[in-house]
Amino acid sequence: MTDNQNPLSPHLQIYRWHISSLLSITHRISGVINLVALILIFFWLIALILGEDSYESFLLMFNSFFGKFILIGFVWSMCFHILSGIRHLVWDLGYGFEIKTANISGIIVIISSLVLTIIFWLLAKGFI
Amino acid sequence: MNETRKWILHRVSAIILTPLYVWFFFSFISLSTKNYSEAIYFFTNPLFKILTIILFFVGFFHARISLSEIFEDYIHSKKIKDVANILILILGIIIPVIILILLIYKI
Repeated sequence: MTDNQNPLSPHLQIYRWHISSLLSITHRISGVINLVALILIFFWLIALILGEDSYESFLLMFNSFFGKFILIGFVWSMCFHILSGIRHLVWDLGYGFEIKTANISGIIVIISSLVLTIIFWLLAKGFI
Repeated sequence: MNETRKWILHRVSAIILTPLYVWFFFSFISLSTKNYSEAIYFFTNPLFKILTIILFFVGFFHARISLSEIFEDYIHSKKIKDVANILILILGIIIPVIILILLIYKI
């Protein structure tokens, strides 16, 4: 493809991994996963409106092992994207750019996304 | 849309989406173990209906700006990039409009 002469940012494989780059790409990936989740919810709503039979098939899927795995993944993706998004908004306000601060906030985002996923799942499922 | 406006609207939509998505996803996971009539009952609430519709419109708007940013970084060909942007624009209008029509007229 020669129609675009603009310089392209180097692709991921070129860089050595840092917390900052890991969080950056995971923010993007989790955003795309959230869009997939929203599209799944769209089909779930269609099934709900089509009637009980089609809704039941979604319930069956959601309560299978694979279905639960996917749903928990969606919950994590939501938690991560929101926490990482808050980190971005704080940067937008002009705070937290020092390397040490950015690394610490990155680790906080990773750990709290996992903790929140567990809490969110247990609360939503009515276990606690 | 100019870039500054895009940047601001992206942040504004993110802030709107945060509580909306947490609330909706919580309800969605809760409903995933409940039966048909309970799910229908949830969407008969007019406030929940409106919030769900807003979630879809704002969610797809946010996704459209974000995805065009990703396309900019990873798609080399301008033609493919333009097509991808148009596809997500169309999808981002059609899906929320379908949700709007279904929730208002069918439940």
